[in-house]
Amino acid sequence: METKPVVELKNLTKIIGKKKIIDDVSLSLYPGQITGFLGPNGAGKTTTIRMLVGLMKQTQGSIFIEGQSLDEDFEEGLSKVGVIVENPEMYKYMTGYKNLVHFSRMHKGVTKERIMEVVTQVGMQNRIHDKVSRYSLGMRQRLGLAQALLHKPKFLILDEPTNGLDPAGIREFREHLRVIADKEGVAVFVSSHMLSEIELMCDRVAVIQNGRLVEVRDMQQLYDSHYYLEAFPTDVAKALLTADGFQVEDYKEGFVIKAEKTKIPGLIQQLTTGEVQVFAVQPHRQTLEDQFLEMTGGGQIAESHTK
Amino acid sequence: MLNLIRNEWMKLWSKKGTWVMTGLIIIAAIGVMGMMKWVNDFSSMGEVDAEILGQGNWEQVIKEELEMTTATLEQKGLKAEEKKQLEGNKKVLEYRLSHSIEPLVDNDRNFFIASGSTSSLFVLLMTVIVAAGIVAAEFSQGTIKMLLTRPIKRWKILTSKYLTVLLFGFVLMIIDFIVMTISAYMFFPVGAGKELIWNGKEVVEASVWGHGLYMLLLEFGGIIILATFAFMVGTIFRSNGMAVGLSLFIYFTGPIVVLQLQRYEIAKYLLFANSDLTMYETGYIPLEGLTLPFSLAVLAVYLVIFLVISFTSFIKRDITA
Repeated sequence: METKPVVELKNLTKIIGKKKIIDDVSLSLYPGQITGFLGPNGAGKTTTIRMLVGLMKQTQGSIFIEGQSLDEDFEEGLSKVGVIVENPEMYKYMTGYKNLVHFSRMHKGVTKERIMEVVTQVGMQNRIHDKVSRYSLGMRQRLGLAQALLHKPKFLILDEPTNGLDPAGIREFREHLRVIADKEGVAVFVSSHMLSEIELMCDRVAVIQNGRLVEVRDMQQLYDSHYYLEAFPTDVAKALLTADGFQVEDYKEGFVIKAEKTKIPGLIQQLTTGEVQVFAVQPHRQTLEDQFLEMTGGGQIAESHTK
Repeated sequence: MLNLIRNEWMKLWSKKGTWVMTGLIIIAAIGVMGMMKWVNDFSSMGEVDAEILGQGNWEQVIKEELEMTTATLEQKGLKAEEKKQLEGNKKVLEYRLSHSIEPLVDNDRNFFIASGSTSSLFVLLMTVIVAAGIVAAEFSQGTIKMLLTRPIKRWKILTSKYLTVLLFGFVLMIIDFIVMTISAYMFFPVGAGKELIWNGKEVVEASVWGHGLYMLLLEFGGIIILATFAFMVGTIFRSNGMAVGLSLFIYFTGPIVVLQLQRYEIAKYLLFANSDLTMYETGYIPLEGLTLPFSLAVLAVYLVIFLVISFTSFIKRDITA
């Protein structure tokens, strides 16, 4: 992607006590792109996000929002950012509308019309004048999204946004995000530990582990043509393919190779002429979960570190 | 900044508790006046009291007071300031006797108006509760995350909260004074007494309203100081209960500590030797050498310290809640 990044993290480091919570993280986020932020519990997702939105101060490094350093001009930088940090906690004793008025006063140029526009966008018209204490979790999430969108941010940060939402709610939320990213060219940064969720939502994933950024990948890359083959005798087949320059990996009862689609017919022909019986050839897609476990060395996703 | 204060004001009055507190202030103001009336009616029925309070006897009281004042004036080692004050008092007392002008007594509505607020302890309590909660509640509700991820520097947010507390205290005080004045008009007649002061050249009649508002201002000084303390504790420890508890604790134990330490020079510099500014009008001054400018200076220093601590802790803190 050649466009200018909306947000740049440069060598971000956070030390609490003697422990390096975040270690030299650099990352760029681009308009119209939804980037998932993955990591085992305690890897530093929340800390990174809190530094991005001014809730925490980094020990070293800097954050740029549209080229402007957050340390130099906090107000200018943050005026372009919309935030939902974990569960959006609202003032429960006020109506949803008053909550939005409250937050709109903290931004420049948010009109009453804009408030109603956002309310309609998240589908809250009917309940907006009820007290937040009477909202369901799903409605609170929608209100949370509404407050983050009020000032038309160029960058949207969401920390575990689908916590506690039911499947329908999650789906709706996902669609909202997609629209915002595509139509308004907003750069979206979503942290989550729900891999399937990220897989459906994101264009790109960044993986953090023990405070270090271990991988940034386009989701497209995940779907690079891989094929699963079952052939007998296996070793003969393998030998043939390796000789042709394919990378072969054992998988279940057969193996996985990386190959362009156009090469497959020739490949099958070659195998059959080489006295190999082919039982199955099918496109193989590695799930994000497989990749994630591969990247983080496996097993740690469920392990609960202290946050 | 105005928008931020409007926000705080809106949040404050969206809470039921605030309305309940204001209601209590109104009830307290009426209640105190009602009780005064009851006590007054009750005591004026007795003949013994009538002798003390009744017509003609006030001259006796003034005479005794004048003798005491004269005696004190003859003492050595009086400071210029104290001497001036006493001489003024003496002139007023003499004037009363020569012109036969009664002092205000507590069955006269003007007496209450001139003494400012009769239930300011409630105003103090409510203001402290609000001051303690205004930052702490944002943390306990988790809304602090929403509040601080706005394009507004933290010191501005804290300033808006502090100003809101002061405004709230001020409004309560005014409500209290208005309700009390109305009750005074309902319960008490105008008496013959007049408020007199020595203006440096001659004895003149003082406005009861002017004096009442001046008393309010002095009371407000004490409220500001304790509210700022509660605000500081609430900001540092993010705990509402702790802030209220600690503030009331020092409010009630403070005077005792001052009493214990009165032999030492340092007692003068304690917060609670100075926090009740009305003592310069009512005449009960616990320590020697205290003057209004001195107290104001001491209180200002405490105020600055409390605010500096609040702001540094709020600005520097990493929000992890």
